[in-house]
Amino acid sequence: MANFRNIKSMLKPRSVAVIGASRDPDKVGHVILQNYINSGYDGKLYPVNKNAEGKILGLKTYASVIDIGSQIDLAVIAVPAQFVPSVMEECGKAKVKTAIVVSGGFAEVGNKDLQDQLVAMADKYGITMMGPNCLGVMDPRSRVDTLFLPTYKLSKAQIGGVSFMAQSGAVGSTILDLIGGEGFGLSKFISYGNAAQLDEVDILNYLMEDNETKVIIMYLEGIKRGREFIEVARKAGAKKPVIVLKAGKTAAGTKAAHSHTAALAGDFEVQEAIFRQAGFIIAQDISELLYYAKIFASEPVPNGPRVAIVTNGGGAGVLTTDAVASSGVLKIADFTDQTKKMLARSMPPLVNITNPLDLAGDAGAKRYNDALDALEGDSNVDMIIVIMLFQTPGADSASAAKLIDYKSRTLKPMIAISIGSEYTEMHNRMMESAGLPVYDSPTAAAHSLAALYRYALFRSRKH
Amino acid sequence: MQLLDYIKAKKLLEEYGIHSIDSSYVSDARQAIGFSRGRPIVMKVLSEKELHKSKAGLVRLNLTTPKDITDAYNDLHKKAERIKPYKIIVQAMSEPGNEIIIGGRTDPQFGKVILIGLGGIYVEVFRDFALRVAPLSKYDIEDMLAQLKSRKIITHDGIHTRLIEDLIRKVAKLMQDNDSINELDLNPVIITDKGYQIVDIRILK
Repeated sequence: MANFRNIKSMLKPRSVAVIGASRDPDKVGHVILQNYINSGYDGKLYPVNKNAEGKILGLKTYASVIDIGSQIDLAVIAVPAQFVPSVMEECGKAKVKTAIVVSGGFAEVGNKDLQDQLVAMADKYGITMMGPNCLGVMDPRSRVDTLFLPTYKLSKAQIGGVSFMAQSGAVGSTILDLIGGEGFGLSKFISYGNAAQLDEVDILNYLMEDNETKVIIMYLEGIKRGREFIEVARKAGAKKPVIVLKAGKTAAGTKAAHSHTAALAGDFEVQEAIFRQAGFIIAQDISELLYYAKIFASEPVPNGPRVAIVTNGGGAGVLTTDAVASSGVLKIADFTDQTKKMLARSMPPLVNITNPLDLAGDAGAKRYNDALDALEGDSNVDMIIVIMLFQTPGADSASAAKLIDYKSRTLKPMIAISIGSEYTEMHNRMMESAGLPVYDSPTAAAHSLAALYRYALFRSRKH
Repeated sequence: MQLLDYIKAKKLLEEYGIHSIDSSYVSDARQAIGFSRGRPIVMKVLSEKELHKSKAGLVRLNLTTPKDITDAYNDLHKKAERIKPYKIIVQAMSEPGNEIIIGGRTDPQFGKVILIGLGGIYVEVFRDFALRVAPLSKYDIEDMLAQLKSRKIITHDGIHTRLIEDLIRKVAKLMQDNDSINELDLNPVIITDKGYQIVDIRILK
């Protein structure tokens, strides 16, 4: 068996061979090489192509990985499936540490034998292998990008603390593109395809130990090693937030069940139970996955379930109150008498001192500031939702700047709800890039805070 | 998969401190009357060929007089002809209460799965259940109940929370100890004012 700890050499390689590199811009091997160059990767880069002579994209090309003659940390293999096992053998002879097999045409199309041959070859030489049939990895810190997707099609994520593992390349790159548009940044993207050798257990295990990863999000289709997965999942969930989107809810349940228990406890339900026991946060769809990623990337765990709502629109305050109250775990906070006194002094008479606190449509930076000052010190308030509707006369860039300023000082989880078009979106981007999660619906905001609080409960439990 | 004999299943549960309602096989009406001794009883046909006893009319409730018992026996005996081999079992009548299901399943990949839910004949209609994979921590067991929409009904507003948690723990132990058990249903477990009564057991090996 290969050494699974070698995943690090895939993500932080000092030397990379791109096997199947090509001068033809339509070839996967060309795009991969081009992406390495574009991202500013500063390790050694070796194009390998058995037919090419001279240079590809200005780099000296080798006919075989064996000819390179120096240490290769990672080989990215993008040659037709039938040649991959022999290329892997060459990698073995060249003492390559790790390989990412981008090529498809293996078990996913019924070529199980070819895949087995490939794994046997990698195992024989102790090569840690990802794939086949995968996008590979992206690590903005080390500027590693094995994705064969043209960069102009994909929003580039900032450097951050969220790592994303996905079995599927297509769903993976879609979510990766969306992450590029989010304020929180990316630590690692790992698309592991057929999981012929490295699988979800190894990758979760790696990300759990990785100091650059604060939050793990994953898109899962299947789980290969059940008991090992449970073991790693329980460790990972206790260590950092893990958000999971699992496909296959509607797959046929247990066939021919003889008992009610077997009829109810189908594969999906059992896996959901495993996630719950590990403290994972379960997302129902792609947008929820991102909502949760956003809040867990920036917010501390709350001390309790009590939420204060500050708004500049009465209706939005009521909708948010409804969403919070129906979340199952969150509560609407009762302000302390001291808070009420402070607010009574600082607010104009038209503001009713209650939760949700409606600051009225003419509220600007100062009124938001005074309200947040009172809530920050309130021992009955565990979390804060600030609603800022930019269509109102009072809300402007100064108000948004005030929220950002406040966000940088408060110790309580704080999120914003801001709904609107261009003017709003501009401010939302401002707030998000400063680390204030912004939601475009009260329900999404309440669900996200509820997930955060559930995780706090999980973390505080006696294991 | 094979259904474990009811009385053997009952004894296995007993080894784990899980009590089920007083039951006995009978081979004629006279034995059933003897079992009854004037108290109301239930009479059922057990056969691997019919898993939905109530729906198939193979359960008779609340039989007290020798005449009722004899008539019921003759009736079930006749109906059961088509699902041979079968056995007729008599049980004490349960007290009224809320019906829950506690179950277990061996998942080939993940191991022993434990289930609790709102039980009885509507279990698959309401689908209000919680699952966990063994081994179960104290928190897992508490969290299972917390997950149920019907937790207040099931626990009688929390009065029987401990009792149910204890049952889940015992079922999990039984499943973990007995690798040959593929599926287990205790359904219904009737939660009464005083405690619990297990009325039906199904263990598949």
